[in-house]
Amino acid sequence: MNSLDPRVIRLPKTGEPGIIQPKVPLDQFGSFEVFVQPKEGKSFQHEGVVHSPNLELAYILAKETFTRRFTCVSLYVVETRNVFASPLTDGNNNVYDLIVDPPPSNKKEPYEIYHLPKRGKQHIHVGQVEAGSPEEAMSFARKKFNTKIIYNVWAVKSADIRFTSIEENDFWITLPEKHFRDAADYKGGDKLKLFLEKQK
Amino acid sequence: MNDLALKELLYKMADDLLILGHRNSEWTGMGPLLEEDIAFSSMAQDKVGQSLALYTMLHQLGEQTPDTVAFTRNANQFHNCVLVELPNQEYDFSLVRHFLFDTADSLRWNILTKSSYEPLAQLAGKIKGELRYHTLHANTWVKQLGSATEESISRLQKSINIVMPYALGIFEESPYETHIIDKGIFEGEKVLMEKWQAKVTEVISQTQLHLPDWKILTPVLGGRKGKHSEHLQPMLEEMSEVFRIDPTAEW
Repeated sequence: MNSLDPRVIRLPKTGEPGIIQPKVPLDQFGSFEVFVQPKEGKSFQHEGVVHSPNLELAYILAKETFTRRFTCVSLYVVETRNVFASPLTDGNNNVYDLIVDPPPSNKKEPYEIYHLPKRGKQHIHVGQVEAGSPEEAMSFARKKFNTKIIYNVWAVKSADIRFTSIEENDFWITLPEKHFRDAADYKGGDKLKLFLEKQK
Repeated sequence: MNDLALKELLYKMADDLLILGHRNSEWTGMGPLLEEDIAFSSMAQDKVGQSLALYTMLHQLGEQTPDTVAFTRNANQFHNCVLVELPNQEYDFSLVRHFLFDTADSLRWNILTKSSYEPLAQLAGKIKGELRYHTLHANTWVKQLGSATEESISRLQKSINIVMPYALGIFEESPYETHIIDKGIFEGEKVLMEKWQAKVTEVISQTQLHLPDWKILTPVLGGRKGKHSEHLQPMLEEMSEVFRIDPTAEW
């Protein structure tokens, strides 16, 4: 790609039809993908990555790294290598056209399915399918969730996810009061204006 | 209602939270991992916030404003236990202190959800999610590092041995203990200590760490009566530096 913009240079390459592979972990402590539900009734969305020695600590570290500001009602994490990613399209064709049907499997388990609706945006949770492999999960997702052009699909086995338990829903009760964590709350512009007026 | 008894309880809780909140905030920018730095700093901020809620309650009972009591008292007017004022050492020390203090703190607030003093019961309900996170954080790290490598186990063990006599000082009894219990405000330090020992034992038993024999330890007492280590006064001076230069400063 001919661009000097690092945001463009870092974009992943577009994929080949039929290839579904595990998302590559970063070359560090061990990386875990973080999904946040910003409001009751809204879908979980991919928020970023934390480094951690294990899944439980990843959950704990993700909570403050990604939900210490703004609004949040729930959070979950999954090890990066357990996120299966479809090929990425360039937007001229639908990712579901690149998904091939695997041979049918016997043992079915729940998988969570995520869509990337726009290049450079976050993956958003769209629902669950029962499947025997990530490939099969995506093939079933094509039948269930294929309504508009999607750039990329992720499939994650539900059993691999560290969810927020019902008792833990109270983690974010006091969050809406913590305005002091937002830069805007410092009203730096107002303070500067007042200071400059005093100097006159 | 004996106001003195209630105020004594509120002051010692508020002072514990303010002082430990400040000590833990000293890790900001220096934590062992970026993510842990953020988590530990956030919890420190939660503690200062909880102390503000208690100082506000005290203000409504006729005490001076939160900023005044937080920033203008001398060390001998603080009621925090000595544990919370000890200077930070290696991260294992802060982690062990965080585990031992927060286990007690979360059990204390859990008892207070049933307090006959309504504002305290309400606050206990409001902050229960913060406390749940703080103890989950502490327990998970202790379980992880307490069974990981020879170095991590021996570091935590050394810190447990150093910190434990100070941790027992959390439960130094108030002169109003019977009154507080009889009025249904709080079940008292003795009950709290028993619950704490059971919880600490439960977590430590899932690791390769061991606890010292409670019976042969001498608790470090005096903090609740204003008798502190030499470390508190310098910390207070640093903490209140901006307030003393300009009491109206806002940021």
